[in-house]
Amino acid sequence: MGRRLQRAVHSEHVAGWAFAGPAMLLIGLFGVVPIVWSFVLSFQKTNLLAPARPFVGLDNYHRLADDPLFRDSVHHTIVYTLLFVPLSVIGALLIAVALNRPLRFIRLYRTAVFVPVVASTIATSIIFLQLFDPNFGLVNWLLGEVGLGPYGFLQDPDQALYSIVILTVWGWIGFDVIIFLAALQGIPHELIEAAKIDGASSFTAFRRVVVPLLGPATLFLVVWSTINALQLFDEVYFLTKGGPLFSTYVVVYYVFDLAFQKGLAGYAAAVAYTLFAAILVLTMIQLGIGRRMVHYSS
Amino acid sequence: MAPRQHTSWKSKRIAAALVAGAVALLVAACGGSSGGSSSSAGASSGAAAAGSTSITLWHGYAAASAGEEPSAEYDSLKAQVDAFMKANPNIKVTMTYVNSDDALQKLTVALQGGKAPDVTYQYGTNVPQLATSSSVVDLTDRVADADYNWNDFPAGERDVFTIDGKVYGVPALVDNLAVVYNKDLFAAKGLKEPGPDWNWDELVADAKALTDPGQNQFGLEWPIDGSETEVWKYIAMLWEAGGDILTPDGKKAAFDSASGVTSLQALQELGKAKALYLNSAPDSPKASQLFNAGKIGMFVTGPWNLSEFPNAKYGVQVMPMFPSGSHDTIAGPDAWVVLDNGPQRVDAAWKLAQFLSSPDQVLADSLATGHLPTRSSVGNMPGFSAFATKFPGIDVFAQNLVNVKKARPPIAAYPQISQLIGNAVTSVVLGKADPQQALDDAAQQADTLLAAG
Repeated sequence: MGRRLQRAVHSEHVAGWAFAGPAMLLIGLFGVVPIVWSFVLSFQKTNLLAPARPFVGLDNYHRLADDPLFRDSVHHTIVYTLLFVPLSVIGALLIAVALNRPLRFIRLYRTAVFVPVVASTIATSIIFLQLFDPNFGLVNWLLGEVGLGPYGFLQDPDQALYSIVILTVWGWIGFDVIIFLAALQGIPHELIEAAKIDGASSFTAFRRVVVPLLGPATLFLVVWSTINALQLFDEVYFLTKGGPLFSTYVVVYYVFDLAFQKGLAGYAAAVAYTLFAAILVLTMIQLGIGRRMVHYSS
Repeated sequence: MAPRQHTSWKSKRIAAALVAGAVALLVAACGGSSGGSSSSAGASSGAAAAGSTSITLWHGYAAASAGEEPSAEYDSLKAQVDAFMKANPNIKVTMTYVNSDDALQKLTVALQGGKAPDVTYQYGTNVPQLATSSSVVDLTDRVADADYNWNDFPAGERDVFTIDGKVYGVPALVDNLAVVYNKDLFAAKGLKEPGPDWNWDELVADAKALTDPGQNQFGLEWPIDGSETEVWKYIAMLWEAGGDILTPDGKKAAFDSASGVTSLQALQELGKAKALYLNSAPDSPKASQLFNAGKIGMFVTGPWNLSEFPNAKYGVQVMPMFPSGSHDTIAGPDAWVVLDNGPQRVDAAWKLAQFLSSPDQVLADSLATGHLPTRSSVGNMPGFSAFATKFPGIDVFAQNLVNVKKARPPIAAYPQISQLIGNAVTSVVLGKADPQQALDDAAQQADTLLAAG
């Protein structure tokens, strides 16, 4: 017990670690440990119940190569992501611009757009189940009034995935809108005025000034929406259970199905790790491209 | 194995992210060394007073919240547990609600953390997987006790819990499938109501006659999500045509037989005639609501559904048969499973499981809830006659238990085989495949799977 110890205790290092410690402990326990464990799991044959967990090397990963259901799940996940991300980001941009004006009841509109994000996914799924009912649903009735349809929506293997795109875009677009709205309000008015004085039309000013200044927000939303899209699960679980005819099997649903319905937890972990690797690579690519295209200061 | 009560999903997308993060995060909870919240129930058991034993019971009946209709199922179980504790003052039972749909996952987690309950309610189809765990108690010797009268439970129940000759659970609940039909719709179309000898040709003809596209009215409900809810209905048909799922040695698929094709052709015909209400979400209450509203003529379903049809004037008839077949149905027996938390607690847990499945308690529960009696002898007990008045038609389900002659194969690979069958059936119903071809494809994949072990 000397001065050295005393000094160490009072130093900023200790205070810093003390503050960060609890959070690090939790992240370690609930983040790092399971990530490592699941990695180990992906080399085992286990249903999580049986005490014997033989190591099977890379078998689980080899098995992925010729698993038609995995291939289908990946295919559906990619199609879903390619639709969900642009639709929700571009759609949100347009809505945000429309809402970034001094209108009467503007707060009401903004709240209305955000409500689906707050509502429970299962609750919104139940609503869409009713709306999309081919025989009794409001959507087919409305489309019928203008001479379209009827569509099978969630009952039709060729339409189910697109139906899920529609309802998830509706459910998440409010989040993107709020981010864009915040970013829009951070754009100094003088910049747009300056552009207009220089002879730019409203549209040109939007395209040349506003959109580039929304770069950081756009990048964030693209990355976030992509990760979100690759992890699609709730709606599929509740609305279609991956059906009809596996047409809405996506990777995370497949992981769930393998681990908890078929008792193939080792293989499920291998699928999960493959998804993890895909998300990691994709995000790095997105951030790499973003770094070149996005300007952080006006 | 069927939606018995509406589950309360409260997950959000963020929760899904956890699933995605990998099985990882769920396994994290399994790690349990951290004391996962899901298993706190077991922890209290240690604090037993000297000389007494505390055990935990996981069950699937949520107690009614304030302002809700009282839950007959919960109240009945609670009364039984109270009676048990009164008869066994040295055993204290803590009841914990666990949604039955999640019971296997929750138990997996709890076992990892060493905080398993002593008795848990589990779907029969979970038992083969549970049997691989060394913590699940082998009850073979205990049920063999003559006083317990194990053979009083129909074979269709016992077989589901018997894995490789060992018994891993006792019946907690049983139901079966029959045809619930709307009497008013039959009358409106001038159709004769189904009789106990009816066959699938008659059902198909009735379903077509009941279908009225202009009125958005359908002959028969049929799930198309490929889930077990769809598959077990088809398996009943397969048995009605004299077929079976696997060969007797359990090594190969047998559903691609002539019986399999015959039964699937009936569905194909109904699909072609657009007589089916294609139910993409059979776990949701939608189909029940439509039946209740008179939009669906016939509904292959179980006794749990009857309370959801207050507005429909309905009748219940046993499943129709195919030529050279019978009126077979399928049972979805659920189990009380005992877990190993040391000999003292196992003894107490078995006492509880034994009590809950004793004739007196089975009778009391049936009368209180409308659950079908799990024991054959209960049907002859004085007082059982009151059961038939619980819901119109419930007696048909009770008598229908004798038509339960087979069980789904109690093997760990069953969920995968079920999925293959579900896919084949759905593809035929949707007109995407031919019955023989669809079943052949599924059987071939099932054989590969069974060969791989």
